[in-house]
Amino acid sequence: MPQVDTGNAPSPRTIIIASVIAFVVAMLVLFTAILPAEFGKDPLGTGGLLGLTALSRGENPVEDQPVAHKSDVVEFVLDPFQSVEYKYLMDLDTSMVFSWVASNEVYYDMHAEPAGLGPEAAVSYESGTAEQQMGAFHAPFTGIHGWFWENRGSRTVEIRLYSSGFYVDATVFQDGGSYEREIASITD
Amino acid sequence: MQQSALHKILFTLSLIAALVFPGLAFAHSIAGGDASFVEASNGPAIFPFMYLGAKHMVTGYDHLLFLVGVIFFLYRPRHVVQYVTLFAIGHSITLLIGVLANVQVNAYFIDAIIGLSIVYKAFENMDGFKRLLGFEPNTRVAVFVFGLFHGLGLATKLQEFNLSPNGLVINIISFNVGVEIGQVLALSAVFILLSVWRTRDSFLRNAFVTNTALMTGGFLLAGFQLSALFLQSPY
Repeated sequence: MPQVDTGNAPSPRTIIIASVIAFVVAMLVLFTAILPAEFGKDPLGTGGLLGLTALSRGENPVEDQPVAHKSDVVEFVLDPFQSVEYKYLMDLDTSMVFSWVASNEVYYDMHAEPAGLGPEAAVSYESGTAEQQMGAFHAPFTGIHGWFWENRGSRTVEIRLYSSGFYVDATVFQDGGSYEREIASITD
Repeated sequence: MQQSALHKILFTLSLIAALVFPGLAFAHSIAGGDASFVEASNGPAIFPFMYLGAKHMVTGYDHLLFLVGVIFFLYRPRHVVQYVTLFAIGHSITLLIGVLANVQVNAYFIDAIIGLSIVYKAFENMDGFKRLLGFEPNTRVAVFVFGLFHGLGLATKLQEFNLSPNGLVINIISFNVGVEIGQVLALSAVFILLSVWRTRDSFLRNAFVTNTALMTGGFLLAGFQLSALFLQSPY
């Protein structure tokens, strides 16, 4: 490597002192700040003193909810080229698990409309053709979340949806109209 | 004199801290939406993997700090290209072999070595080997060997995912090409800044202090990764 004579090259003593300073400073930061903030270890008590220990509490895998969850089973019969939409009203960060099974392949589009913004703001999560779909869903925003199903075959199709989750109620959109569906809490 | 040297050290340290800390929170792995993309991809996805490789390098302060150390005293673009090529060959070998042969190495352990590679480079730049230990290890060999470790680090990041064997080779090569692109982008910026700084007297006056700060950053990264290795719950 091309070396440049700096005129005042560091003495061995300076190099040792600098290296020791580098090590000590790094360890100081590690023990006073990083260990409490990142790993919840507080060997010197600085984490508690500076409030850094609070940062190390990871995300709790449990999400408490104020009300009991609801459970729903619903069936739709679609004639050829008929479609239906079924959506749950869900708050931000609430979850549900679901499985739907159709007697024949249907087109589906799992999507959502943010509350108050109407169909123009709709977001599609997943679409395609299938006879079934199973999954878990975590609402990324408050709004109505659910499915559009369309029978593109030549035979009548039955679709049955099972779900459990922290939704408020459901809305059915069919034949140009819509109606709400009350769903009882699991504890009622 | 003593006072101003201390100020310089503190200033440079705070600069490095500002660079290093935001990244530490993410422990520098592939995360979020990028992670779900990698998990879900089944088949060749050349440009997305290239992008991820470049992103990993540009946002990878550990690789970048090492490269700053490597080119700190390289004045000629020709030398920069030489050293960076050696580094690139080194990390390409272990990235490809690591993922394809499924070599399992603890990521924190490798990242700790990457941190120590920064310490090594800074110590070399401080003339420590020549003046203190009386010998000079071959700098080209050192850069190549550390390239091997950095590549293993990259491989462990990709192995955290359940990579589909479908299109794996193309995706790994794309990731590697992306890493080189990101490296060229980041290095050009660093080289330009260093070149500007070199035209001033302050460069040589502060070179020693800057490398001390670089060494501190290396010790910090190594300490952070070793803490994770021993303290982090495996889940």
